[in-house]
Amino acid sequence: MDLLSFFGMISLPLISSPFVYLSGRLGAHEAVLHRRSYVVRGFALLAILSAWVPFVRTVTAFMAGETQEFMIETILLQVDGISLLVAGTVLTLGTLVILFSGPYMAGEAGEEKYYAMLLAMIGVMIGLACAGDLFNLWVWFEAMAVSSYLLVAFYREQAASLEAGMKYLIQSAIGSVLVLVGIALVLANAGTLDMAGVRAAVAGSDVNRWVWLGAGALFIVGFGVKVAFVPLHTWLPDAHSQAPSGISAMLSGVVIEVGLIAMLRALSVLTGLGESWGVLFLTFGALNIVYGNLLALRQTHVKRMLAFSSLSHVGYMLMGLGIALTSNVELGAQGAFFHLFTHMLMKGLAFLAVGALLYALFLQNDSHAPLAISDLAGAAKKYPLVAFGLSAALLGLGGLPPLAGFMSKWQIFVAGFESQSGWIMALMVFMAFNSVLSLAYYAPLVNLMYRGSPSQAVTAGKPVSAAISLPILLMTLAVILLGFFPQVMNWITRPAAQSLLAFFGN
Amino acid sequence: MALILIALIIGLPWLGALTVLAAGNKNPKWQHGLAVGFSLASGLMALFLIPFTSSRVALDLWLGPSFGSLSFVPDGLAVSLTIIATVIGSLAVIFSVDYMRGEAQLGRYYFLVLFFIGAMAGLVLSGNLLFTFFFWEITALCSYGLISFYNDDPKAVAGGIKALIITQVGGVGLLVGSLLAYANLGSFQISDLLSKANTMPADVLSIIAFCFLIAASAKSAQFPFHTWLPDAMEAPTPISALIHAATMVNAGIYLLARFFPAFESVPGWMEMVMLAGIVSALITAFMALTATDLKRTLAYSTVSQLGYMVYAIGAGGVLASQFHLLSHAVFKALLFLSAGAVIHSVGTRDMTRMGALGRKLPYVRNVFVIGALALIGLPVFNGFWSKELILEVGLEHSPRWAYGLMLLGAALTAFYTFRMTWLVFYGSSRADLHVHPAGLWMKIALGVLAIGTFTTWLLFGGLSGTLAQSLPTHHLEAESTIHMVEMILLAPATWLALSLIAVSLALFWFVGRGFALKESPIWLRELSESSFGFEPVNTFISRGISGLAEQLRFTQNGQMNWNILGIVGALLFVLAVLLWSGV
Amino acid sequence: MSLTPLNIVLFGIVALFGVGFYGLLITRNLIKFVMVLQILIKGVVLALVFAGKLSGNLGLGQSTAATVIVADTIVAVVGLALAVQVRRRFGTLDVPKISTLRG
Repeated sequence: MDLLSFFGMISLPLISSPFVYLSGRLGAHEAVLHRRSYVVRGFALLAILSAWVPFVRTVTAFMAGETQEFMIETILLQVDGISLLVAGTVLTLGTLVILFSGPYMAGEAGEEKYYAMLLAMIGVMIGLACAGDLFNLWVWFEAMAVSSYLLVAFYREQAASLEAGMKYLIQSAIGSVLVLVGIALVLANAGTLDMAGVRAAVAGSDVNRWVWLGAGALFIVGFGVKVAFVPLHTWLPDAHSQAPSGISAMLSGVVIEVGLIAMLRALSVLTGLGESWGVLFLTFGALNIVYGNLLALRQTHVKRMLAFSSLSHVGYMLMGLGIALTSNVELGAQGAFFHLFTHMLMKGLAFLAVGALLYALFLQNDSHAPLAISDLAGAAKKYPLVAFGLSAALLGLGGLPPLAGFMSKWQIFVAGFESQSGWIMALMVFMAFNSVLSLAYYAPLVNLMYRGSPSQAVTAGKPVSAAISLPILLMTLAVILLGFFPQVMNWITRPAAQSLLAFFGN
Repeated sequence: MALILIALIIGLPWLGALTVLAAGNKNPKWQHGLAVGFSLASGLMALFLIPFTSSRVALDLWLGPSFGSLSFVPDGLAVSLTIIATVIGSLAVIFSVDYMRGEAQLGRYYFLVLFFIGAMAGLVLSGNLLFTFFFWEITALCSYGLISFYNDDPKAVAGGIKALIITQVGGVGLLVGSLLAYANLGSFQISDLLSKANTMPADVLSIIAFCFLIAASAKSAQFPFHTWLPDAMEAPTPISALIHAATMVNAGIYLLARFFPAFESVPGWMEMVMLAGIVSALITAFMALTATDLKRTLAYSTVSQLGYMVYAIGAGGVLASQFHLLSHAVFKALLFLSAGAVIHSVGTRDMTRMGALGRKLPYVRNVFVIGALALIGLPVFNGFWSKELILEVGLEHSPRWAYGLMLLGAALTAFYTFRMTWLVFYGSSRADLHVHPAGLWMKIALGVLAIGTFTTWLLFGGLSGTLAQSLPTHHLEAESTIHMVEMILLAPATWLALSLIAVSLALFWFVGRGFALKESPIWLRELSESSFGFEPVNTFISRGISGLAEQLRFTQNGQMNWNILGIVGALLFVLAVLLWSGV
Repeated sequence: MSLTPLNIVLFGIVALFGVGFYGLLITRNLIKFVMVLQILIKGVVLALVFAGKLSGNLGLGQSTAATVIVADTIVAVVGLALAVQVRRRFGTLDVPKISTLRG
């Protein structure tokens, strides 16, 4: 058993977080401000890169079939397919975002807080995915929320950023209160909060099943605030559009998905009710897809449009999970997890590319104006790589081949038809039409970037640096390659799907 | 060997696409050269593939449970279409050397063209429904990018998005059909769908059949999806020739022909296919009568000719439809490219401003007239043989009224083609246009296609032989060219059609020459401009959706209390759903 | 329902939740938002202890309650810090007035 690696995977980012902060605070001297920034950035990058070593070792141990779990007092942490999927997703995007943020955040007041919070958030998300106890799950979840509040409201001078942070904080806090009420309900009736214990208790209890359904409803709505189920989503467009671009990428790419994982974990303890949750997932999935698409259609600001498109992509994942839970089709969960990963790549890429443009067009000219869609006109000539990356991300999100999004949506479609249920197939057709509708806002944006006559903002834009281009290049390649070789993710999505179905006991 | 060739046919243009991008817009000479080289190489590989034509699978690479296996089948249907795509593709690229000279963003142009050529070959060669869909969508993407190529022009942007959305809506049909087939057969292999179609429940099979018909209609711009193709004419003209006349729009015909054996027993399917073909062929022929834009006229005629192919499939004539597809690809590419040469020379697409250009552009006039005669369907040109073959099949296997309508269509075709040729090249000069001569590369491409227009009908025997031999489920009979010629020349139907065409030409000559210019009846013009009432439907749908989207924005009013009400409401909603479903 | 101690606690929980949600739905002031949120959280803390008592695992209930108090104090601190910034930036704490992001 390789517990040290497992422990290191969670704790390395967490432990390095305060050190990164201190390295920035020590010698906070005007004269060395410039050099200090490099120290902070380097330290943060080193920390996240070093977390890959225990991650790879944990994966190897998992593949060899070892059970990996450990207990500190009553806190149980364990590794299964879902934890590895989340850890891999979070680490991938986290590394790229830290790399990207180097130039993007350079010289901002409180740069060290940014990296410290980001690292803490990464560690906490990995921890969350390994939690084996309901209350423990909530604590990780709350820690993730607190670190993300601070990151959303990072630009303290910006009124809109404060407003977004405030809405995010209050609505998230209400969600976490509802989760706690659900936990209290479970505790009162099961007498324990250890996931395995609760499962046994639920299966063997003669308590009215409405108690468990009620607890599940509270979990769905409580975590649903974070996952942005419509109509709990109202904070999301504000927060995702106002946060620094690296954080927007993290929020859209992993934070809401980790919320979804937390919800699945919490629901999975209420055994034997998978079908009810499946129906709810399908309902919210359909609602999210159509609402996200319609609202994205008329947006004028790029980041806000991307934020609304996240709503519809959560909807696709919910569809896959709903199929898995209602019809016991493993492929549905596999497709949902695959889409979770590809969405992380595509949406992360989209936000980073938009961030690169925002940085080059506005931030470097000391403007905090939001990036309007019309500002992108003609960007391709001056920023070919960024424009190409953004195009790949947007078309991939719209589900066009040969890009990653096509394959992950395809997998969900296949699962839907494999279920052989008329209702689900009708939902799949609905989903396909929505996917077409989404092209109506993705494709014109791509077109705009390749115009001949550049916008004023592009003309005045500054160049982008290599540290910003590198993550964009890597993610673009990944988005394209996954479109050609979708099966390479099977090794992780299948165990994750198996773990999920095993929990729901179908 | 076949596998290597297939890999090269798809891979070479894609590699070329990347190298053109890498060459950069600062080296236009390199870009032209690379594009021509890679597309020609791919065309050559496609020709080499002919001896390897068979129904055997060339590659079978297992990808996983939800993807099936990546497989390619170089059968007759696939190889003939691959050759059309790559050879006409390389001619279009050669033509572009002159046509696109000095344009900005050549890299993007050639990238999309080459990417398209590879994808089109992949689409027809694929033996797996997932990859058929995969390449199908790539062709739509490239078509979108190229229609909107001049994207500083709002009309090009609007035309592109319209084409993308309409073909994607059709793509949903292909998606649903493929997945239904998979759900019932457990396989994505096309050969399985063809051989085991009858083991499926009848209602499922008929849903699949009609889903595929929707997909094919949208891609081939057939009724009721015929509205996108005319607007797609904002693309650079070589693209209109390649994608919107010779190749991508044929994908729908390909789909119908490919799955014909599986669906022919579905009740009502053949009739629906035939009806879609007839309606498309006729209404767009009427629309072409009044159009004044040269490229739009050609686009209408493309839809109309595709209608003939769809009609042929509906009448059971897969071979006839493929034969006409080949002829049409060649002569319509010729027409479009020579129209492109005209447009490039005079700088306008408005036929009312042209006239008497024949004297200034004799070479272009000559090849255009060759293409026009083939389109009308006069003897010796390839269009004659294939159109007569379709009418022959129609006479035998479709109701008399349907046959009569298609004859009427042929007469209308003669009329509008003559009108178009007259307006552009003959009559009197109506505006003082400055004329540039056509370039050498243009002339080469046009010359090759003109020769093809004279000769491709000689390939009939070879085409029917390969199709019959490599498509076992289609039960086609091989026929020799001589036999076909004999049959057509001896059939009274041929002479009936020819005399109708002659009447139509006479009508134009003695009555319609003035009418050609402006005096077309106002009701017909209005009907044509609204695509026989379907343009308003499109507008209604798109306005409705964006209006709804705009209205919905009030739900995001940014007020905290309202947001919290959303949370409370959601909790109640979840409980209600659980109550409803859980009891 | 008799007035047993357990019922009184239950009543307390329900009352705290009622007040909390009512406050969240009508209040306009940012500080008050943070305050009613705290009222809700107090209800939760009470509920956790109550749940522990009901299930006979009082220790677990108490320890979770204690953790919740700590965690939500942090949330309250962050919320108040934001409120301070908002007051500085906007000169008001009236939430509808500072809500500009919409649509």
